[in-house]
Amino acid sequence: MTAIPRSIRSRRRFDATPYLFIAPAVALIALVYGYPIIRIVIDSFLAPTASGGKTVSTANYSNVVADPVFWKSAGNNLFLLIGVPIMTALALLVAAVLFEQIRGWRVYRTLVFTPYILAVPVIGATFVYLYGFNGIVNTLLRDTGLGGLAQDWLGSPSLVVPSILSVIVYREFGFGVMLFLARMATVNVELYEAAMLDGAGWWARFRYITIPQLHSVIGFFVVIELITMLSWVFAYVYSMTGGGPGFASSVLEIYIWKNAFAYRAVGIASAVAVLLLVATSVFVIIQLLVRKGDAETGEE
Amino acid sequence: MHTSIQRLGGLLAAGLIVAACGGSAASPAPGQGGSGAAAGPVDLTFWYWAESDAPGADKWMADTVTAYHALHPNVTIKVDPQSTDTLQSAFQTAAASNSGPDIASQWATGPVLSFVWTGAVSAISDLVPADEMKHWLNTNENTYQGKVWAAPMYLLGIGLAYNKDLFAKAGVTPPTGDRWTWDEFLAACAKLKAAGITPFVGGDKNGYLGAWWFANVGGQQLDSAQDLVQAVVGNKSFTDPKYTGWYSELEKLVKNGYVNNDVMSLDLDQGVRLFQQGKGAMAFTSDGMLATAVSQLGGDKVGVMQPPKWGSGKLADAGNATQSISFFVTKWSAHQKEAADFLQYLHTPDRLKAWYAATGVVAADDRFDSSLITVPQLQQMAKFETTGPQVWLENWIPPQLDGDGDIPAGQTIFSGSGSAADAGALWERVANTWRSAHPDEVANWQNLLK
Repeated sequence: MTAIPRSIRSRRRFDATPYLFIAPAVALIALVYGYPIIRIVIDSFLAPTASGGKTVSTANYSNVVADPVFWKSAGNNLFLLIGVPIMTALALLVAAVLFEQIRGWRVYRTLVFTPYILAVPVIGATFVYLYGFNGIVNTLLRDTGLGGLAQDWLGSPSLVVPSILSVIVYREFGFGVMLFLARMATVNVELYEAAMLDGAGWWARFRYITIPQLHSVIGFFVVIELITMLSWVFAYVYSMTGGGPGFASSVLEIYIWKNAFAYRAVGIASAVAVLLLVATSVFVIIQLLVRKGDAETGEE
Repeated sequence: MHTSIQRLGGLLAAGLIVAACGGSAASPAPGQGGSGAAAGPVDLTFWYWAESDAPGADKWMADTVTAYHALHPNVTIKVDPQSTDTLQSAFQTAAASNSGPDIASQWATGPVLSFVWTGAVSAISDLVPADEMKHWLNTNENTYQGKVWAAPMYLLGIGLAYNKDLFAKAGVTPPTGDRWTWDEFLAACAKLKAAGITPFVGGDKNGYLGAWWFANVGGQQLDSAQDLVQAVVGNKSFTDPKYTGWYSELEKLVKNGYVNNDVMSLDLDQGVRLFQQGKGAMAFTSDGMLATAVSQLGGDKVGVMQPPKWGSGKLADAGNATQSISFFVTKWSAHQKEAADFLQYLHTPDRLKAWYAATGVVAADDRFDSSLITVPQLQQMAKFETTGPQVWLENWIPPQLDGDGDIPAGQTIFSGSGSAADAGALWERVANTWRSAHPDEVANWQNLLK
């Protein structure tokens, strides 16, 4: 190892120029992200008292964990995580098929991606009509002699969350398809050619070349969708059911929103927001670790 | 979110019918709406909400501000329309810093009084002469410790509309008085169902149909709104049949097939639309919904009665009209007299007439000229809304109990996923949760019992 001259080491140690360049951005980020987070953490530990004041305590947290609606909401968020492997597998398969440039693949690609560019409330409102008890899905079932399968997809407490999940998968998996297609386009074609020369079929090429080559972007997509399922499903739920019937489809975002805006319980909302932030941060850290590992091994 | 009746946005089509009545230019009589105006320049800010209840209200307010400014050139009023979802939280933020509008809007009773309790409101009865206030209706909704804290503007009520043709087809006779007993209602439902007609139509996907049932039937075993507050603060239990026993009756309606089978797939207004399309014999309707039904089905095809009488408490005989939104002067306003004078001006006869022309909603003032209402069914509704004591029960519970108790309990019954006992247990559990998380509010609600 070549020793770095002392003068260069000194200059590097004390050169503040790069930090000055990024200082405004750091300050802005601290203001935009840092202040609200600090404020929320503080509010989560301020609980109202009978005299009308506030006291520093963990009462908000204990009230939250004692509330069955919180657990129902958290449970629904966890249930939605089932959608992540489903949409990942679906997106991989569809991307692989489209990558083969089958006839009309450009049209299929557009069709698959279109839901992702539509606003969630638009998708939600559409599926309200599709999934209504006398909506299009049930009408089709009844008209084709399958009326026994007709259900109140959004009105039944046992079916509402799976129904919402299907809508989320329908919209989000198009994002995965585009991500995977973009990465597939950069995979060295010689790998596929060599495999074909060795007699590898479509499945073998998919299993042993495509998936390993895409593992980094798959990891990215999975983490993004895990975070989505935990903390970005408000618009889906709000536009389709509002969290009902009862609390059957409530999620943590709905719980926070109700407490913060409808019930004026800022402390309770803040406590749940902190818990949700911690949960999503775990996934963000996992993603960072995965990317760091890729960088160290030289993979993309 | 506090009360479902406040979410009638876009439903009040009565303006179409009454538009022919026309409006008129502002010309208040001397001494009306002018007594409190200062000589110097006065800037007032008004956080205003009404359009969702009464389409046309924003335009009316703009005209009213212009007319008032013409009378008092030194007074400038800036109107900031408020969003339904953030109406309470936005004002809470303002109140926390003792700054914000001079005049604000909140829904009656619970929301208004919660800000009274935090010291953000000046009593309107301290600012407006008693001989003026005696004309205002439903002031009891915002009366606390002998003072009235906010001004009403209009009244909303719910009636049970019925389709005369479908009744005749099933051999059902409308009540001779203003309402049926519960048994008569059930008998009519049975006849209608036997004739292949859906007896009652509605939509509870957003939970407001259940809330309307609570507001119309749920309090019929109670003697007063304070009875309800007793359970809110924990002196009584919501599992007592006196409070939630009525869910058994609602459960019967659902189980007997007297309610449309897609009730959980439709929002409140979508459910009422079934009635307006002639697809159901009865529905709960507001004035606006009733006006639409009359215009779509024909004036001779629609009737309206009060909700059936089930209970034996004093509230069983009360009406259900509420002022919904209330306007009040903030404690920190530097121009309280002028702000109160403007609220007084809203109740001048000319403004009341213009209000009805713009919105088709009955004004909360005994000087309102009821002859402006030309549709017989709406005249009937106005009579229900202005005769006798009026209690809209949803106003008397905290928003959390409404959102997490009242609304989900109704959905539990309509979706068939739980029993009346489950609904009662849910109310009690949410009340316990609220009391545990909001000891400050509990102390204030207890004041309502004094």
